[in-house]
Amino acid sequence: MSDFILTARGLAKTYQSGDRKIGVLRNVELEVSAGESVSIRGESGSGKSTLLNLLAGLDTPDAGTLSWAGTPVAMGEATRRRADFLGMVFQSFYLIPEIDAFQNVLMAARIRRAPGPAEKARARDLLARVGLAERASHLPSQLSGGERQRVAVARALMNSPRLLLADEPTGNLDEQTGDSVIELLLDLCRESGTSLVLVTHNLAHAAKTRRSLFLHEGVLRPVATGPRPVG
Amino acid sequence: MPWYLYLALKQLFPTGRFPFFTAISVMGVALGVMVLTIVTSVMGGFGYEIRRMIVETEGEVTIKPRVLLEDAPATLAIVRRIPGVAAASPYAKGPVMVMSQGIPAFPIFRGLDLDSVNSVTNLARFVSPAGAIDQLDDDAVILSAQLAQTLGVRLGDTVEIYSPLLIEKLKSDEVFLPRQFRVVGQLYVGHQQLDSSMVYGTLRAAQEIYGLGRRVHGINLRLAPGAGEEAVVARINAALPADQRAYLWMESWADFLWVLNLEKSINFFLLLFIVIIAAFSVMSSLLISVVRKTREIGLLGALGASPRQVALCFCAQAFVIGVTGTGLGLALGFGILAVRNEIVHGLTNLLQRQQTLQQFYQFADLPAHTLPRDLVVTTVAAIVISTLAGLLPAWRAAKLKPVEALRGE
Ligand SMILES: Nc1ncnc2c1ncn2[C@@H]1O[C@H](COP(=O)(O)OP(=O)(O)O)[C@@H](O)[C@H]1O
Ligand SMILES: [Mg+2]
Repeated sequence: MSDFILTARGLAKTYQSGDRKIGVLRNVELEVSAGESVSIRGESGSGKSTLLNLLAGLDTPDAGTLSWAGTPVAMGEATRRRADFLGMVFQSFYLIPEIDAFQNVLMAARIRRAPGPAEKARARDLLARVGLAERASHLPSQLSGGERQRVAVARALMNSPRLLLADEPTGNLDEQTGDSVIELLLDLCRESGTSLVLVTHNLAHAAKTRRSLFLHEGVLRPVATGPRPVG
Repeated sequence: MPWYLYLALKQLFPTGRFPFFTAISVMGVALGVMVLTIVTSVMGGFGYEIRRMIVETEGEVTIKPRVLLEDAPATLAIVRRIPGVAAASPYAKGPVMVMSQGIPAFPIFRGLDLDSVNSVTNLARFVSPAGAIDQLDDDAVILSAQLAQTLGVRLGDTVEIYSPLLIEKLKSDEVFLPRQFRVVGQLYVGHQQLDSSMVYGTLRAAQEIYGLGRRVHGINLRLAPGAGEEAVVARINAALPADQRAYLWMESWADFLWVLNLEKSINFFLLLFIVIIAAFSVMSSLLISVVRKTREIGLLGALGASPRQVALCFCAQAFVIGVTGTGLGLALGFGILAVRNEIVHGLTNLLQRQQTLQQFYQFADLPAHTLPRDLVVTTVAAIVISTLAGLLPAWRAAKLKPVEALRGE
């Protein structure tokens, strides 16, 4: 049997827009093994977000199958399994404005069950790990963009997911801040053995993952490889 | 606490910020509940005051014969043995004409059995001077306060009382003179009708005026505290001869109480619209919140929240607004009820209308009596209506697909 954390076979997705059909994904094949990091690049509008949503079980493919850790994902149960299995980071950070950074991180645990001392300790550790120990009680509106994205990263890792899906996490950040967020993301995934699928426009960021893929005309293709860092 | 309740509370009462929208929504519900509480309590107060007035002047139960009670002692003996009956007192009553210095009035004359009246009624509490009841004899009466005022009668004056039998006597060409009575006291119950048109005298005097001999018109009963009123009445009726029947206090006032109740229900129904309108404002502010928070709702879905939980988050907000508003409304309502008489008196003094109010509303003070049932209905209605207002926003939120919610970039 496979050790793949994520297996996508023949994924296809077509959007109906008025009387026009937009074939976004035609035949996507993707396997991600435990602890592996994969980057996906592609032109704007090529369907990267669409693909991530399919991989997260947030949307249903028109064709193809999806497995998480070897178990096929049925749409009906995706919601229930998602909290345990994967974390997501988005271009816009989507923090909940009414609660502070600590509670935002803890929210991921709350959705699974009422958080106990262990969960609270982990949320605090994660905030410290992303360099925001001092800002735990600050509201999102009191944090900078980079800090908000760090909170979002901590939240995505709160439940120790096997897989992290990041959709252009640096898209709203300046270059320097973006670089440090990516470093942090890669480090945290490496430390915890979490697999990472990173959608990015940034070549340098893509180059830091073990495998780089390119989404074009609805199909994922490997990028011609040079020497790669291990990670 | 489940996350959706936690988030509901946090969205209503955000950390470190005055909950402006919540305060407005809560205030709307509170105003509705406040008005409902005040109105049902005051309307309930009228009913309660009437009960108090009847019970304190006539006892809870009255036994009436078809025409006249021939053998009062026999009936008294029967009812005094029935469990739940604390005391019994026979009476005779009917309309008379009272004249004083050429001014006529047409009150009801009520003849009291002096031996037993104080064990059935609390009339002694309402008469002045204190102890006037004990000074009653067959040639003395107590007039209700306004009647005395209308007739210009003072304590110690004499009034003439004409019996309706006068007409019968005139037919047979007999001479019939009015009886002279000494006024030994005044009665003030605080109820317009009783205070304007009653004359209290002895049973013997009433029997004489009405030519009853030893017969009476009925018997007033006082029940033992805590005795089930209806059960006792049923027991009495089972023991009484067929031509006599016991009536509970409300039966003789059934029509009035029915109208009062109808009025209360209509008021309740109309005022409930305040709560309904408040619920619409709760609904619209929650709908705005759903639109404003579309992406966060999508994010919650991405974190593994189910649509049902998202719906509950918004329903819970409406519920909390309902509960808080109802609590605040009850507090405000009871607060205002506590100072209602100060408010009414202040208002009537300002408008110089103290008299008018008393004449039209029977009671000198604004009565208030909150029935637990009314309180429960108000509370449940307000909370249910507010919570229902959360259903549409909740449904909208649950219907949001995370993918679509998150795409709105
Ligand atoms: N709900 C939708 N209805 C119609 N078209 C959509 C919808 N969602 C995405 N698309 C289209 O699908 C294409 C891929 O979108 P997306 O996955 O967001 O691209 P990317 O993330 O690579 O920029 C775009 O052309 C977009 O307009
Ligand atoms: Mg995208």
